[in-house]
Amino acid sequence: MASTASERRRGPARPRPRRRPAPAPLAAVSALVACLFATPLAYLAVRGLTEGGTLAAWTSAATLGPLARTLLLGVSVAAASAVLGTALAWLVARTDLPGRRAARLLLPLPLVMPSFIAAFALLAAFAPGGLLEGLLEPLGVDRLPAFEGFWGALYVLTLFTYPYVYLPVVARLGQLPASLEESARLLGRGPAAVFRTVVAPQAAGAVWAGTLLVFLYTISDFGAVQLLRYETLTSSIYASRVFDRAGALAQSLLLGVLAVAVVAAERAATRGARPGRLAAGARSLRVPLGRWRGPAVALAAGVVGLALVAPVGVLAFWAGRGLVAGSTRAGALVSDAGGLALPAVHTATMAVLAALVAVAAVLPVAYLTVRHASRLAGAANAVIVGGFALPGLVVALALAFWTLQAPWPLAALYQTQALLVFAYVVHFGSQALRAAQVAVAAVPSRLDDAARTLGAGRLRRLRTVEFPLATPGLLAGAGLVLLSTMKELPATLLLAPPGFETLATRIWNATEDAFLADASLAALSLLALSGILTWFLVVRHGNAPT
Amino acid sequence: MSRKTTVVALALLLALASAGCSGDRDALTIYSGRTQNLIGPLLEKFNKETGIAIDVKYGDSAELALLLDEEGDRTPADIFLSQSPGATGFLAGKGRLGQLDAAVLDKVDARFRNADGRWVGISGRQRVLVYNSEEVSEAELPDSVLELTGDRFAGKVAIAPSNGSFQDFVTAMRQLEGEEATEAWLKEMVANKPRTYANNNAIVEAVSRGEVEMGLVNHYYNYRFQQESPGTPSRNHSFAGDDVGALVIPSTASVVAGTDKTDEATRFLNFLLTEESQRYFSDQTFEYPLVAGVPAASGLPPLASLRSPDYDVDALGGGLERTVELIRTSGFNGV
Repeated sequence: MASTASERRRGPARPRPRRRPAPAPLAAVSALVACLFATPLAYLAVRGLTEGGTLAAWTSAATLGPLARTLLLGVSVAAASAVLGTALAWLVARTDLPGRRAARLLLPLPLVMPSFIAAFALLAAFAPGGLLEGLLEPLGVDRLPAFEGFWGALYVLTLFTYPYVYLPVVARLGQLPASLEESARLLGRGPAAVFRTVVAPQAAGAVWAGTLLVFLYTISDFGAVQLLRYETLTSSIYASRVFDRAGALAQSLLLGVLAVAVVAAERAATRGARPGRLAAGARSLRVPLGRWRGPAVALAAGVVGLALVAPVGVLAFWAGRGLVAGSTRAGALVSDAGGLALPAVHTATMAVLAALVAVAAVLPVAYLTVRHASRLAGAANAVIVGGFALPGLVVALALAFWTLQAPWPLAALYQTQALLVFAYVVHFGSQALRAAQVAVAAVPSRLDDAARTLGAGRLRRLRTVEFPLATPGLLAGAGLVLLSTMKELPATLLLAPPGFETLATRIWNATEDAFLADASLAALSLLALSGILTWFLVVRHGNAPT
Repeated sequence: MSRKTTVVALALLLALASAGCSGDRDALTIYSGRTQNLIGPLLEKFNKETGIAIDVKYGDSAELALLLDEEGDRTPADIFLSQSPGATGFLAGKGRLGQLDAAVLDKVDARFRNADGRWVGISGRQRVLVYNSEEVSEAELPDSVLELTGDRFAGKVAIAPSNGSFQDFVTAMRQLEGEEATEAWLKEMVANKPRTYANNNAIVEAVSRGEVEMGLVNHYYNYRFQQESPGTPSRNHSFAGDDVGALVIPSTASVVAGTDKTDEATRFLNFLLTEESQRYFSDQTFEYPLVAGVPAASGLPPLASLRSPDYDVDALGGGLERTVELIRTSGFNGV
C-alpha cells in the first residue's frame, strides 16, 4: 500500500522496518486479547455444531441469494465511501476550503446516526410523497423516484459510513510532512496531480483501513437494509432468528467467516508494505483550490446537507410538531424531554469507556501486527476485525452464553455496565485496531532505534517516543469506537443492566411504537452529544496548528 | 495520552465500578417486549401500590425470548411480557415458562389465554387494512382479506412478511381456512405484486405518504400516526367481523419457569388485569382491554362486536416454524 512512487524515489536512504520476533509478554497479551475477541465466533461455532445443518444452510438458495446481495452492497458502499471519505479528508486537511473548521466538526457526525432512524427519516424526506416532494411541488415536480432497494441502501449507507474513511485519512494527512507536496507544486503540478502522486500514496494505508471498516459495517448493517427493502444476509438472519435458529446461526457464522477471509486477504495483499514518513506537528500545506473552490464547497456542503441537514431537518420537524402540540394531554407526543439527561450521561460514559478500553486492548495487537511477523499476529488481527461484521444481536447472545457458563466472579458480571463495555469493545475493537495499526506504522522505527541506542528502556521509549507520535491516530480510532458505541442498539438492549437507558434505547423505544416526536428529540440529543464529544476528543487534538 | 485524560479515565472507571452491580436482587425482574411508552406508567403504579421494586429490561419480544432461552436456568427474569404470542409460544415450547394460577387465567376470555396456562393475554390488537383516504375510498375496500388477491388490488397492498403479527395472522388462517387455501392465498398475493415493508410503522408511514394505497397492519399504529400528525390521510378499515383478516391478537404476560418470586409475579399479573390497568390500555395505548366489562376506547368498535374468528389461539405460538416456511416458499422476500 504505502510502497509508493514517492518512497521509491527516495531510494535506499530509508531502511526497511525490521521485523524482530515478538517479545513474550507482548505475544501473551495479544493472545489473550485475541481469545476475548473470538468469543462471538466461538459461540457461533459451538451453537452451530449443536444445532447442526450449517453446511446445508450455507449452500441453500435462501443463503446464496442474500449472500450475493450482501457482497454486492458491501463492495459498492466500500468503494463509494473510499472515494467520498478520502476526497473530503483531503479538502479539509490540505486545501483552503472555506469553512473547513466547521467541516471538521460536522463531517464525522453522520456516523452517529443510528441507521434505523436515519433511514426512516430519509424515507420520510426523499421517498415519493415525502417532505421534499411537498417542497418541490410548486416547482412542478410531482413524483420523486422510488427510494429503496440496492440504490437506496447504497445511498444511505455511503452517507452514514464515509466517516470511517474520512476520520483516519484526516488524521494521517495531518501528520504528513508538507515538503513533498510543496516540491511537487514547485515542479508545477496542479492540485489534482499533487493529490494523485503524493497524497494518495501516503494516505493509502489509512484509506484501506477505513474502507475495510465500511465493508464490514455494511455487511453487518440491518436497520437500513430492512427499511429500504434490500434483502441481505443480515435481514435473512433477522427474519429466521427465532423460528429457524439453525439457519440463522449458520448464516451468522458465514458472515463471520466472510469477514475473517476478507481481513486475511487484505493483510496478505498489504504484507510487507512500508509505513509512510511522518513529521508530527509539521506545518501542513494548504493547496489553493482556485477554480475548484466552487465544486469543492458544493461537495462538502452537499454531503453535510444530505447526510446531516436532511435527516436532522426531518427529526426537528417531528420534534417541533410534538413540542407545539404540548405534553400534558393523554397520549402526549412528548413524554418527558427532561428525562433524556440520564440516558445521555449513560451514553457518554459507556462510549468514552468503550473507546479507551478498546484502544488499550488493541494496542498490543497493533504493535504485534505492525512490528513483528507472526502467525499469532495474523490470527489476532482477523478475529478482532471479524467481530465487527457480526450483527449486534449475535455478539450479545454470545456474551450472555459465555458469561453465564463462566464460574462465579465472571458470571456476576452478567448484565452489568462492565459486560456492556466489554461487548462494545469486542464489537467495535476493529475500528480502534485499524487506526492503531496505521498510527503505529507511522512511527519511524529508526526513532525507536535511536532512543534505544541512547539507553532508553522499552517502556520509556513507548512513553516518550511512540505514544506522542501515535496519539492522533489512536484518537481517531477512539473516536470511531466512541461514535459507533453511542448509537449501538441490539447489544445494549440485551446486555445493559435492567433500567439502564441510553439515548439509543430511548430512540428505539419511541420509534418502535411511532412516538416520532419522542424518538426525534432523543435522536437530536444523541447527535448533539456526539458533536460535543467529537469536538473535545477528536477535533481539538487532531487539529494541528495551521 | 495526556495526564488529564488518564485522570478522567480513572474517574470514569471508578464510577463504573461503584455502579457496577446489576440491579436490585430483591426486585421483580421483567423482560418486556412492550416498550416503555406502552407499559412504563403501569409498572410505576404497581411499584407505588405494592412497594415491590421492579427492574425492567425493554427490548424486541423475539430477541428477549432468544436471550431468555440462552440464559436458561440462570436467567434473572421473573416475568416475560410479549407483543406477540409467537415469541411467547417459542419460550413455552422450550419449557421456559411457568404455569399461571387459574384465578389469573380466568379473568380473560378463553380466546385470549393459553390452554396450558403458560401465558395470559393482557391487551388486544386487531388486524386491519390501513389505507390512504386521498387515494382510495372506503367503499372500494373489501370485506375479506381473501379478496386482496383480486386484480384491482394488484401492486397496491403493503405487507410486512417478517413481522410477527403478520405471521400470527397467517397461522390463524392456516387453521381457519386450511393449509392449502392459505398457501394458495399467499402465492396469489405474491403474484399480485404486493409491496413488502420492514414493519407496521413503515407501512403506515408509506401509506400516509401515498407511496402505496393500503397495507395489512395492526389497528394501533394508525392511532399513533394520527396523534403525531393530525392531518395524515391514513385510515383504518376493518374487515368483516368473522373474517380471518379481522383477527384480534393478544399481547401476553407470562411467569418465567423457576422464578423464586412466584407471589410477587402473580400479584403483578393480577394487577395488569384489574379494571384500572385495563382502562389504561384502552385510554392510553388504543388497545383492546381483554377483561370482560372494560369498554374499548371511544372510536373503536367494541371487542364483542368483532366476533373475532374462533380459532385456537395457542396455534399462534406453536406451528410458527411452518408458517414462516410457508410464507418463505410462497415467494415473499425478506422472510
